[in-house]
Amino acid sequence: MNTAVLVTFGLSIVGAIAIALAGARAVRFSRWIALAAPAAAAWSGLSYLLGAGPGGTGGAPYIGEAVVVSVRWLSRADAGIGVGLAVDSLAAAMLIVVGVVAAMVVLFSFGYMAEDRAQARYFSLLSLFTGAMAALVTSSSLVGLFIAWEIVGACSYLLIGFWYTRKSAANAAMKAFLVTRLGDVGLLAGLAVLYHETHTLDLASVMAAVPDLAGPTVALVALLLFAGAAGKSAQFPLHVWLPDAMEGPTPVSALIHAATMVAAGVFLVARTWPIFEAAEGTRLLILAIGVITAAGASVSALLQTDIKKVLAYSTISQLGFMFAALGAGAWVAAVFHLVTHAAFKSLLFLAAGSVIHGSGTQDLREMGGLRRAMPVTSATWIVGAAALAGLPPLSGFFSKDAILEAVWHATPLAGAALFAAGAVTTCYITRATRLAFCGTFRGSARPHESGATMWLPLVVLALGAASLGAASGEFARAFGGHGGLSLPVAAASIALAVAGGLVGWRLGETGARRAQSGVAAFVAGGWGVDAAVVRLAGASVVASAALSERVDAGIIDGAVRAVERLAQGISGELEGLQSGDGRAYSGLVAIGAVLVVGLTLWLGR
Amino acid sequence: MIVVIGCAAAFAIGLYAVLTRRELIAILAGAEVMLGAANVQLVALALARGGDPAVASGFSLLVVVVAAAEAAVGLSIVVTAYRSGARSRLEEFGEVDAE
Amino acid sequence: MSASDITLAAAVAAMIAGAAGTALTRDVTRLVVSLGAFLLSVAAIFLIVASSLLAIAQVFVYVGGVLVLVLFALMVVHRDTDERVGLDSLHDIGAAAVAVAVFAGLVALLLPLAGTTGSQTRALPNDIGAFLLGDGVVAFEIAGVLLLVALLAVLVVVKGGEDR
Repeated sequence: MNTAVLVTFGLSIVGAIAIALAGARAVRFSRWIALAAPAAAAWSGLSYLLGAGPGGTGGAPYIGEAVVVSVRWLSRADAGIGVGLAVDSLAAAMLIVVGVVAAMVVLFSFGYMAEDRAQARYFSLLSLFTGAMAALVTSSSLVGLFIAWEIVGACSYLLIGFWYTRKSAANAAMKAFLVTRLGDVGLLAGLAVLYHETHTLDLASVMAAVPDLAGPTVALVALLLFAGAAGKSAQFPLHVWLPDAMEGPTPVSALIHAATMVAAGVFLVARTWPIFEAAEGTRLLILAIGVITAAGASVSALLQTDIKKVLAYSTISQLGFMFAALGAGAWVAAVFHLVTHAAFKSLLFLAAGSVIHGSGTQDLREMGGLRRAMPVTSATWIVGAAALAGLPPLSGFFSKDAILEAVWHATPLAGAALFAAGAVTTCYITRATRLAFCGTFRGSARPHESGATMWLPLVVLALGAASLGAASGEFARAFGGHGGLSLPVAAASIALAVAGGLVGWRLGETGARRAQSGVAAFVAGGWGVDAAVVRLAGASVVASAALSERVDAGIIDGAVRAVERLAQGISGELEGLQSGDGRAYSGLVAIGAVLVVGLTLWLGR
Repeated sequence: MIVVIGCAAAFAIGLYAVLTRRELIAILAGAEVMLGAANVQLVALALARGGDPAVASGFSLLVVVVAAAEAAVGLSIVVTAYRSGARSRLEEFGEVDAE
Repeated sequence: MSASDITLAAAVAAMIAGAAGTALTRDVTRLVVSLGAFLLSVAAIFLIVASSLLAIAQVFVYVGGVLVLVLFALMVVHRDTDERVGLDSLHDIGAAAVAVAVFAGLVALLLPLAGTTGSQTRALPNDIGAFLLGDGVVAFEIAGVLLLVALLAVLVVVKGGEDR
């Protein structure tokens, strides 16, 4: 298992370099290398779980971990920072998720990106991303985690802006990078506070030291870490980058902006759970933000006309569910939902990619009737949609109900909001399904089913999305907690899902032609956060510009002019010396030598 | 003793050549005289003060090498300058920086 | 006064004479001859006080190398004039004063250092080699690199002059 983890990184980095070096012409062969790292990641996770056996590692995270490699870095006598890799059940589960989804995405991309000229760059970045994501989940210290976190963010930036000649793509990449960076500042500050308090950043030692920390410190650290997590996981109000990130290639959206990287925030909180467990006030904030995000984004998803934007807001909303669970203290439920969500959301994205590929548009209003033209795609989409809606016996049912139950027990008010969000979830996905696959085709192209490399991943992921619910018991045993379902919660959520579905079906019929009112446009645009940011940033930029202009003109320019006058005065005196006459120069040197010798004699007496 | 005084004299004469000559090559020749005198001075003083003769000789060997390199570069500059405008006198170079 | 002392005095006298000739002569040929005399007397002094290897290196590098270079450079610079070329100087009292001051300063500084107990042992080539490749190896290598750089610099300078 140790070797498998190390092989994952080796393959990832070597693969990234090899694919990039092989160039565009050899990409037909070199792209297969990109499959190696995901396969190794999935294998290493799987072999750990099989080796540990069911129930072998129960309890809190970071108990019973297997240290793969550990080195001291920036070592000093009294303190130092270690980096290393370690695998526990949580990391192993994430490794499997990353590995499987990445492998499916790479396979899917063989078909989806076949026409692109920059494939070498694409597959190289995918390989690098897989390795960085694996490093993120297996890192045994917060430093290593942070480094991987940033590499993952850089890969995201590069892949969102993959079609960099499109201005919108370049802008979206920049926006994603900057907004997540805002959260990362918080994360970095959190690490700094932690290091100051505990003198270590090794996860195991930090977690062991948490009970000794003062209450306010823990709350502050938890808040800062959550800021980083919220940025990466697109939580309100830092969610604005994710819808724009859909400018990237659709398989990238499936891998990075649905299944793995955006879930890194949830993973971070789960990984440092003892801190959050001790910080009750922060958890309440997380719960509130999670619920707001889940509900708000699901309503926004309802009004989108772009199939990828629907899924983007859906992802934000589902991440909100996970954070609500974290806020309610049910981190196992959150991680379980992370896993199932990775399966069905990457499935939905890849199916959307297949739809875009086959129909030539990503506007829902121009689709319709794809059921007949693309049978495999539509069947797998419906599996994913049902899983998202939480219909039994698909995976989403188990994980979402675990969240609903936990939140309901924590705060009935938040629970009720989440129930409503769940209903809206069914509503928007039913609407999108009907718009895309039912009725008659409204676009101009000739829709066709995609090739085998594209529908095969869909089928694999559909099997996962359908069957992962069965693992809920295993999951609960591996991490603690209970795997059972509460009957009233399940019944209520199914009833709401069906009701939401019926409303969505109606919307799917009428929504095709309805013009959007002002309020609807406001909601569809992400509740005006973008506009507020622009207005706030604009005002502050103008104010600071005015201030700096005054400082510039008064103090800086004044100082510069004074220095200039001084220099001119001095140089005016000295310019006679710079005659360009070599003889004068050498004479001066000789006179200088005489002076030095004389001085030495005089002083040395 | 006699070597020390003699070397100081040769050094001063070389310096006078550098200061008064107009031809670039002659100035370089003066510089060579200064270098040679300083080199002899180095060895002579090292031996007079009981230093290791091998070390003294080794170092002055290195000085010889470096001086040879300096002479080669200097002369190549002279030749290049001459070719680029038939200038071979120091005072003709005053305007170089104004170009 | 021993025989070696007399030889040494003669070599020093020759060295000063060579230096003076280099500084003062108005004739190109005499300048080269004077410089050669100076360099050869330096070699002679090395031979007497220090080491035969150093003397031989001085002869090879300076007389065989630098002097020939100077000669070549003079020929290049003055090839287009038929008449015997004169070298003129700007003799002035200030330069002479500075030179005399340097001489006086050097003598005043260095003479007290010289002492009278000169070691009579002379360096064998083996010892010099052992020093250069032992304690002095860094300086030796740096000198080698410097020579390489100088070689390249000469190429670049001459090449650049041709392009212009």
